[in-house]
Amino acid sequence: MQFLRKTLDNFYDLINKNKRLSKFKPVLDAGDEFFFGTSKVTTLPHIVDYIDIKRFMSFVVIALIPTVIAAIYFWGWYFLAMVIVSYTFGGLVEVAFAVARKKEIHEGFLVTGLIFPLILAPTTPLWVVAIGIIFGVLFGKEVFGGTGRNIFNPAIVGRIFLTITFPKIMTLNWQAPFTGGLGGFLHYQNTLDAVTAATPLALLKSQNIATSYTDLLFGFCSGSAGETFRIGLIAGGIFLILTKIVDWRIPLAYLGTVFVFPFLSNRLFHTTFSPGLAQMLYGGLLLGAFFMATDPVTSPFTKPGRWIAGILLGVLTVLIRGLSGYVEGVMFSILLVNCLSPLIDTMVLKARYRKK
Amino acid sequence: MLKPFRTFKGGYRFKNYAGQPAARLVEADIPSKVIIPLMQGFGTEINPCVKKGDTVFAGQTIGRDDEAISSPIHSSVNGVVEDIKRMNYFKREVTMAVIRTTNTSREIPRLEGHSPEWWKLSNEKIEELIYLSGVSSLDREGIPTRFKSSIIMPQDVSHLIVHGVGSEPYNISLDLLLDGKNLLHFFEGVNILKRIMPNCRVHLVINAHKKKIIEQLVKLSSELEWLDIYPLEPKYPQGYDEMLVPTILKQKFPYGYSAANIGVVVLNIQATLAVYHAVAEGIPLIERIIALCGPSMKENIHLKARVGSSLEDLIKSRIKENVPYRLVLNSLLTGVTLNDLSLPIERSYSQLIALPENKEREFLSFMRPGLRRDSYSRTFLAKLFPGIRKRTDTNQHGEERPCISCSFCEEICPVRIIPHLLSKYVKKDLIDETLMNYDIFNCIECGLCSFICPSKIPLLKQMKEGHEKLIMQGCDRSQCILPYFNLKGIEGYRGVTKL
Repeated sequence: MQFLRKTLDNFYDLINKNKRLSKFKPVLDAGDEFFFGTSKVTTLPHIVDYIDIKRFMSFVVIALIPTVIAAIYFWGWYFLAMVIVSYTFGGLVEVAFAVARKKEIHEGFLVTGLIFPLILAPTTPLWVVAIGIIFGVLFGKEVFGGTGRNIFNPAIVGRIFLTITFPKIMTLNWQAPFTGGLGGFLHYQNTLDAVTAATPLALLKSQNIATSYTDLLFGFCSGSAGETFRIGLIAGGIFLILTKIVDWRIPLAYLGTVFVFPFLSNRLFHTTFSPGLAQMLYGGLLLGAFFMATDPVTSPFTKPGRWIAGILLGVLTVLIRGLSGYVEGVMFSILLVNCLSPLIDTMVLKARYRKK
Repeated sequence: MLKPFRTFKGGYRFKNYAGQPAARLVEADIPSKVIIPLMQGFGTEINPCVKKGDTVFAGQTIGRDDEAISSPIHSSVNGVVEDIKRMNYFKREVTMAVIRTTNTSREIPRLEGHSPEWWKLSNEKIEELIYLSGVSSLDREGIPTRFKSSIIMPQDVSHLIVHGVGSEPYNISLDLLLDGKNLLHFFEGVNILKRIMPNCRVHLVINAHKKKIIEQLVKLSSELEWLDIYPLEPKYPQGYDEMLVPTILKQKFPYGYSAANIGVVVLNIQATLAVYHAVAEGIPLIERIIALCGPSMKENIHLKARVGSSLEDLIKSRIKENVPYRLVLNSLLTGVTLNDLSLPIERSYSQLIALPENKEREFLSFMRPGLRRDSYSRTFLAKLFPGIRKRTDTNQHGEERPCISCSFCEEICPVRIIPHLLSKYVKKDLIDETLMNYDIFNCIECGLCSFICPSKIPLLKQMKEGHEKLIMQGCDRSQCILPYFNLKGIEGYRGVTKL
């Protein structure tokens, strides 16, 4: 601790002396605040809640820890390299903008940088990861004015950009997971039978082959790096809801709709959507519902708005999965609902505060 | 009659903060000098009726104005008026009487005409005793008497709410105030109030966790059909008039005006006890029970002190001085900071809270498990171990960040407005009728939104800023209230009295 303090102080000295380096003060400030907290005192009210944005964001990271460990187990240490690349390049963009804007560095990218590799295929080349996170943070967040003002979830923006630009890499390279024993903890990457296994959702859609629920829950199937270990995702999501970091309304409405809508639709309109329970466990739905649709910045802030957004997400996901050419519907529906959130909020506010 | 439990949406329960005052009462010494502001509690400033050099006795009226809305003010010691001067007092110039004590006897000369058998007194006499004792100036809008002590007349009162909810982080102890005989006195006090306000229904509101007191009160009141007892959750800001009226009477509150405007008088327990003391025992209001709370106090006790004693005399020796501290009056969320210890205490004081001024930086502060940290979110261990006393200090616990619309402020807001939305409007300087339409004037300035914000945004400050800017543009809160309410006593109304 003493050592850290000294190092930071030395850097401050250096920056204060050198004019060119002084631009990088936000970086140093971020480090300083990260390790040593604040010395500011309150005015009115005299006491404030102990929670701050750092703790807020770090709880999302904590909730993702089981998923990350599982991802390393299933896909090898290569996944960790993806996380590191994602954090590095995402952080660089964040720093560049903080320096240019002369503002402090915000903690939001701690979550974005971790979620992004989780929604990629485990074989995605590292340079693609870098391009994706740079695009996501830049055009998903920073061009709108940074944390708190973004319309789209940056991780989703990056992922969709990659899906559209590198369709071959993004949609064909599905890898079978390591299973048994220590699994991926002993390997860097599964090179033997890569490019083989189709995702359960694709199997269901093209060949009508269902994967067993145990395999789906425990992750013995292919898919994006973070979406397969569904037990961990459910546990993480419930943890976030219990600690009040995310609102329970969006996941409940989203998952509830995905569960109910196919049944109703099949009965009423004679469509052939897969049954609700299976839809809930296939694909990236759980990851999306608990960790991305609930992002407070990009989802509606009013409570009725959250219900509406959740239901809309569910309907869109089922429709895209069932009727479009894309296998996966979660990320598109989240992106669509993201851009609808301001509208939903405005409508809810209008209804709530009618002119007296 | 005991009414079922009820509550309101939003709000926050401050649980188990370190430094709660114990139910022990200590009588402070008679000070050698008192400074008595001629404006205390509810009422306008009044002119002194003593001169420099006059000899006064404890309980002698030194200021009285029957024309303006006010109550008399008394000397609190036997002594000589040393000076009458204008002094800076909470950002206002107020006339103060400085009295040097000559006789430190504790004896207080009683008011004329009081009687332990108060029911034999006439209504006029009771009102006069309440007025002359100064008790009628207590609480937000005073106790109505025929002497213009409140903005309405006693017969206009349709509801009287007497509350001891204790919803603040630190509260004066109910067990102490209503201990033994005091409970009976309190009950008599309620009866006296009912006598002078014959058209009112009385609502006794007690902290739902004080089961014993509620039980005793129910027993006492079993035969009275005009009295209801409500056990309420001590959730902040339940003790505010703005929250008590909707929760108990199921009636809308004219935010920004006082409860008296709709014919409701809200009093607390200490005021009701003072009514009894004034009418049955003839004691003028020159003593106050003050709770000394907070971790920076050496002992968390209650102090019975004379009005006008300086803070220096009273509590300087009772504060831990080895660490910097901050002294706050009455409420940790809305109270003023008392920087000047030469200021006197007065009738409206009920809690003095001293908490450490924590400018220390903490290593990896946000990663601590937080056994003693209170938070609305459940991200600290303290929520799993509610029995452990929570730490209070003035550190901001984090840096200011942009709003992420987490909606904590909306969830906790007791008057159902959306602080983060309004603050964004104010910050961007988009001041127009939209703000008013979003009910910005409903804000009761309880401070919960600023308390809760994980981004540490000063929401309360921005809301107040929005108020001011709107008023500059000609939008007034009266536009939201007056068309929808039939308010009483509006001519005498001068804005909410908040210290």
